[in-house]
Amino acid sequence: MPALNGQLVVFGFASFLALAFALLMVVQKTPVRSVLSLVVTFFGLSVLAILLAAPFIAALQIFVYAGAILVLFLFVIMLLNLKEEAADKDDRPVQRTLGLLVALALGGLLAGATLRAPVPPRGAPTGTPIPLPDEIPALGRLLFSDYLLAFEVLSLLLLVAAVGALLLSKRRFE
Amino acid sequence: MTGALPGVAPMAVPPGAFLVVGTLLFAIGLAGALLKRNALLIFLSIELMMNAVNLLFLTYARMRGDLAGQMIVFFVIAVAAAEAAVGLAIFVALFRAHRTVDVDKIALLKW
Amino acid sequence: MNQLWLIPVLPLAGFLVNGLVALVASSSRAEKESGADQPGAPLPYAQRLFHGLVGVGSVGLATVLAFAAVVPYVLGSMHNAEGLAPVVQRVYTWMAAGDYSVDVAFRLDALSALMLSFVTFVGTLIHLYSVGYMQKEEGYGRYFSYLNLFMFAMLTLVLADNLPLLFVGWEGVGLCSYLLIGYYYDKDFAVAAGKKAFIANRVGDLGMVLGIFGVFALFGTADFSFVELAKRQVFAGGAPLGVYAVCLLLFLGACGKSAQGPLYVWLPDAMAGPTPVSALIHAATMVTAGVYLVARCSALFVLSPDALTLVAWIGAGTAIFAATIGLAQNDIKKVLAYSTVSQLGYMFLACGVGAFSAGIFHVFTHAFFKACLFLGSGSVIMSMHHEQDMRQMGGLAARIPQTFRTMLVTTLAIAGIFPLAGFFSKDAVLGATAASGHWALYAVGLLTAGLTAFYMFRLVSMTFFGKARGHAEHAHESPATMTVPLWILAALSVVAGFVGVPAALGGSDRIGRFLEASVAHPEIHEMSHGLEIGLMLLSLGVAVTGLAWAWRWYGKADGPAEAVSPQAHAFYEKTGALGRLVGNKWNVDEGIEALVLSPFRKIGTFLWRGFDALFIDGIANASAFLVELAGDLLRFFTTGHVRNYALTFALGIAVLIVYVWVR
Repeated sequence: MPALNGQLVVFGFASFLALAFALLMVVQKTPVRSVLSLVVTFFGLSVLAILLAAPFIAALQIFVYAGAILVLFLFVIMLLNLKEEAADKDDRPVQRTLGLLVALALGGLLAGATLRAPVPPRGAPTGTPIPLPDEIPALGRLLFSDYLLAFEVLSLLLLVAAVGALLLSKRRFE
Repeated sequence: MTGALPGVAPMAVPPGAFLVVGTLLFAIGLAGALLKRNALLIFLSIELMMNAVNLLFLTYARMRGDLAGQMIVFFVIAVAAAEAAVGLAIFVALFRAHRTVDVDKIALLKW
Repeated sequence: MNQLWLIPVLPLAGFLVNGLVALVASSSRAEKESGADQPGAPLPYAQRLFHGLVGVGSVGLATVLAFAAVVPYVLGSMHNAEGLAPVVQRVYTWMAAGDYSVDVAFRLDALSALMLSFVTFVGTLIHLYSVGYMQKEEGYGRYFSYLNLFMFAMLTLVLADNLPLLFVGWEGVGLCSYLLIGYYYDKDFAVAAGKKAFIANRVGDLGMVLGIFGVFALFGTADFSFVELAKRQVFAGGAPLGVYAVCLLLFLGACGKSAQGPLYVWLPDAMAGPTPVSALIHAATMVTAGVYLVARCSALFVLSPDALTLVAWIGAGTAIFAATIGLAQNDIKKVLAYSTVSQLGYMFLACGVGAFSAGIFHVFTHAFFKACLFLGSGSVIMSMHHEQDMRQMGGLAARIPQTFRTMLVTTLAIAGIFPLAGFFSKDAVLGATAASGHWALYAVGLLTAGLTAFYMFRLVSMTFFGKARGHAEHAHESPATMTVPLWILAALSVVAGFVGVPAALGGSDRIGRFLEASVAHPEIHEMSHGLEIGLMLLSLGVAVTGLAWAWRWYGKADGPAEAVSPQAHAFYEKTGALGRLVGNKWNVDEGIEALVLSPFRKIGTFLWRGFDALFIDGIANASAFLVELAGDLLRFFTTGHVRNYALTFALGIAVLIVYVWVR
């Protein structure tokens, strides 16, 4: 089954990219590089989304996350002129080691838990089944029918966020 | 772990692999959130954690053959955009007041 | 048909208008003055005119409506041997529970028609009188708004068709009584008297509420239709309270409101309020609510002869007890207050021997002559520039002749001189007592009649006759708004008795027959007319003796203020300890203080110092200390570093996952 193998290869490559650049993001000292590493991670994630039959989400991932949010981050970092973390004399070794340990432990626990968790039932999906060839129109219909209220609330939320951001950045702290 | 639902193609990659990648990304994001001192980068790590969770949602949606999972991801992304706008505005304000975004230097939540 | 609900609502509207205007006006006045003038200045004329018009007008209109309803009813019942059926008008459902509902419903029957007629009429006259009496007072608008509120509550009480609504009026009049006793709120004794009245009434009201519950338990309804059930002795099953207990509870309520038994103590102190208030609330209307209640529930009371006997004895005991105190009082209003307590005792005596209509008859006549006496005393007090001590008066007959004449007439009326109103109603009471065969009660009643005549004529003599003492020489007659009500009431004190001329004197006891439709009328042993006339002559003789005695001692009294009448003073000296005891009002207040209040205070102090301060506060303080300790410890975890918080957060999640997994 060459097609399947091809998918496997793509998966391996994309997940490696995502994980490696995510690690790089954490390890990096320079904020700009951290953000750029995350861009790569998000690309990898969007490839994974395509593999999971979610091309619309994959596109959103690129447009919104990589395109809008991360650029916003970059913009703020450059605006504030943030340099490397001052020679990184972390005077909190306990926090550092404990943080690492907890992150590792939680990662392991979560991985174990998700793997051991029972497979969700597939016989009777509760929502709308994924109509594979053209799922985007279905998504759109769903968004404007079942999720209409949530969608409208979301639009309000975005408006409020925009107003709030404006207000916050305008106010002078004494 | 492959199985065919009507209208759903069988999965070439075992879904467990997606789950592992998702949780690992989540752990990396958590490590970043706990270890970074720059508030912006902590925020960035949290974005990564949200994306890891998004990946899990997508995986389950695929496993169940159900669009609801993707719908949730859609909303998460939209809320994340709103959150990023407000959060970054807060950091800008914070920087204006304290000339730094190093969370170790800003210990305001103290008695 | 007349809308009954308008009758109480009109004074309520008057209360709202007067109260709001007074409130706004006084606050704006306070701003303007800002301490420059003395605050006790009377209101400007226009404002007084407004308050007076609203106050008198609303009550007057209610009176017109009341008579428009009462007169046809009375006329109608005259042509009907059985009396007319009660008119019940439901206004609105107050509360509904299951298949029982309490309505705001008003009832016009013989009893409430009678009460309604004199409450509105006397009320209007006293409002009119107040216009003159209160003109120099600062809180003119406040006074009229309270008085209107009182009228609303009293009319609700009288017209209510069920016990809960009656209780609303009952509490309302109690509240207004409290407010008006404490009208001079800057005087300590007035405030204390108001509180005393309120608290003494609470004791009775406890019984009243329990009694209402009891009625509901007995009959399954608190509408006055329970009277019909009581007549037929139909009880709801499984009543936890006996008829006797319910009667006692209701009577306790009546005692509180009508100042009977040991609960009378608030009424004399209530004289701290303005005199028209004493006339309206503490003589003519509110205090008779207890008698009204007993009469209203008469069908229930007759089921329990023991309860009736108790009512009779408490009434008679209070009557003579208060009369003896009245003998030695020197404050003109206090004499009248004890007289009121004593006369209320008469009314309960009548109820107790089963002559409910006689009791109500006495309520009716008493309203006129006692209101007139109080208003007259108010006129005297005003002409004396707020001197209330009779020892400082004397010789006022020539100086304030109108007040004198009206008060003399009403004194004769209350003393029971033929053919004034008091004669007929008092003899209806005494005659019924004799007819019931309670000769001991009759003797007490007769003696009280003599004492009444004595102390009332003593009051008149000390005030109007003899030598002018104190500032009595400078007294002036009161304005027409005050004397006109006096004349009207005096005239009614003369004629009101003719509605109840007994058969022995050739009358037909119309009021008794009229009331038969509403109150119970147990079998009364008929007396021969000869015996009845004999008893009347006897009581008349006793009354005349009392009058003559008072005239002998006080009629030409020219002694100094300390001992106005030398003979009386000599007699007082001779009585020794007993006389001092009477002079000290039998030390009742002191006895209540020692036996009831002081132990309560001690228990309260113990609970405060021992229990509350040590135990309760101890627990509270200890818990506060523990919280503080815990806070001091937990404070170390509050580093202020966000990363620490995030770490703890993550750690917590990890622990939670482990827990879920392991479980």
